[in-house]
Amino acid sequence: MSIDVQTDPALATDATVEVNAVSVWFGPKVALSELTCSFGPGVSGLLGPNGAGKTTLMRAIAGLTGVNEGAVRVAGLDPRRDRSVHSTMALVPEDEAVPGGLTARQLVHYMADLRRITDREAPDRALRTVDLLDVADRQVGTFSKGMRQRAKIAAALVCDPGVLVLDEPLNGADPVQRLHLIALFKQLGADGRTVIVSSHVLNEVERLAERVIVLVHGRLAAAGGHRAIRDAMDDTPRHMLIRCDDSRRLAAALVGLESVSGVTFESKRDELIVQTLQAREVAIALPQLAKSASIRLLEVRPLDDSLESLFRELVR
Amino acid sequence: MSTAAATRPWRPRPRLLAILVYTWQSCFPLKRWAAILMPCAGALLFGLLARAVDAGPDRAFANVAAEGIFGLVMPIAALVIGDSVLGAEIRSGSFYFTWLSPAPTWQIVLGRWVGGSTVALVTIAPAAALAAVIAGSPSSAGAAFVAAAVGSIAYVAVFIAIGCLTRRTAVWSLAFVFLVERLLGAALTGIAQLSPTWESRAIFVGLLDNPPNRLRRDGIPEGVDAIVRMLIVTVVLLVIANWRMRHLRLSGAAD
Repeated sequence: MSIDVQTDPALATDATVEVNAVSVWFGPKVALSELTCSFGPGVSGLLGPNGAGKTTLMRAIAGLTGVNEGAVRVAGLDPRRDRSVHSTMALVPEDEAVPGGLTARQLVHYMADLRRITDREAPDRALRTVDLLDVADRQVGTFSKGMRQRAKIAAALVCDPGVLVLDEPLNGADPVQRLHLIALFKQLGADGRTVIVSSHVLNEVERLAERVIVLVHGRLAAAGGHRAIRDAMDDTPRHMLIRCDDSRRLAAALVGLESVSGVTFESKRDELIVQTLQAREVAIALPQLAKSASIRLLEVRPLDDSLESLFRELVR
Repeated sequence: MSTAAATRPWRPRPRLLAILVYTWQSCFPLKRWAAILMPCAGALLFGLLARAVDAGPDRAFANVAAEGIFGLVMPIAALVIGDSVLGAEIRSGSFYFTWLSPAPTWQIVLGRWVGGSTVALVTIAPAAALAAVIAGSPSSAGAAFVAAAVGSIAYVAVFIAIGCLTRRTAVWSLAFVFLVERLLGAALTGIAQLSPTWESRAIFVGLLDNPPNRLRRDGIPEGVDAIVRMLIVTVVLLVIANWRMRHLRLSGAAD
């Protein structure tokens, strides 16, 4: 099967990381299913709800996890078989695990030694980049969650990686550090490095990455610019649950609204499920409608405002 | 930093040395040291216990050491060390720092083994020798030291190999010691010939001037022959560990 790189938004034009028809399963659980995508220079976001397969994909790219079917190539090399690929690739996993007995400086020096870094300034530069130079001689085990995350990022940056894989890197970071790290990752991408960042928060990915790959249930759900992803999500119908003291009358009134595309009356629970493409308009109109009809609203809540439900809509 | 220092040619540490130093710095926090030193203290208590046995000090220590030190103290202390240098790190999720590097896997295995073995050599082996002195049998101290040293470094290799083969290193290591070595090894000479417990006991017995006959076992080499046997077993285990290390499927601490 030939794939048109120019038209397939899941494929980067000058790919350094290629994921080709990859499937990974753990016993009966399928983590990735025939996934094909690629990543090139710049920041790419990997978006998906919890359990979507983001971490598995990142581990497969880094070579931590083997694939059951398909192939992963980083700079043309198999990261599971060719260990030399780790000279130019670094992973920052989501786990908090760090060698707690080491100081941040010892950890970064260790990583530099393993990669035969001859630039004596590289460890301190990496620590300075993540604002840890002042506490570099403190044991990593005494660090806060955010500081541990930054220590791992420093350990990854010390080898000046061409490919940087970051799994939920902003977890635990305070707002100031968050901004700092976002600017850092964008700069690394602008410098021509392939930076892959995963998150389950759409806004976070929007601020980081121009290109987004969306995974749901181990499959590719969408790919492209973050605006296209956002538009696709905005075009999906939303559902809203309404409980009031006169459901039948409210249902009749709601049907008259242009922004409402459907109303379902759940007689057993005396609830209304409203379907709309313009949830905001419905939310504004609903109180006025209820007031004019002398109907008391008891509960109004979105049924599918979570990212997970939006993803589900995308893969329908 | 001075200009002279900045311009001085700088070379990173060799990878093997870096892994070795990392093993010492990172794999043995205080709690682990306590867990290693506790059985070593048990060895000294076995030395005291030998004084209470109604026999000559050499004979009494030989009997107590064969069962208590080589059959119990050494495996448990070596298990803690072997688990510390690999299994515990894999479980915690921080082993990726080492594994995701261009360092060849044999250097990782060798670095971890040397790191663990040096810790065993400064804890288990001296404790065994000191136990002989406490028991009033200083002439057995050398044999006890050599037997414990060879046995414990072989055990570290066993537990590293188990760490590469299984995820529940501590459980499988305990099963190896108490089910395979103690139960099956007691019944089957073929297993005892490859067992660090039985072989270290045979090293000890072979190096004593006048060992009790009940500690001798047919079909198992003694003394220097047993040392050679154990070194071969150790090398084979490290080769297996290296082969498995290449195919590790590392999961996170949360998995």
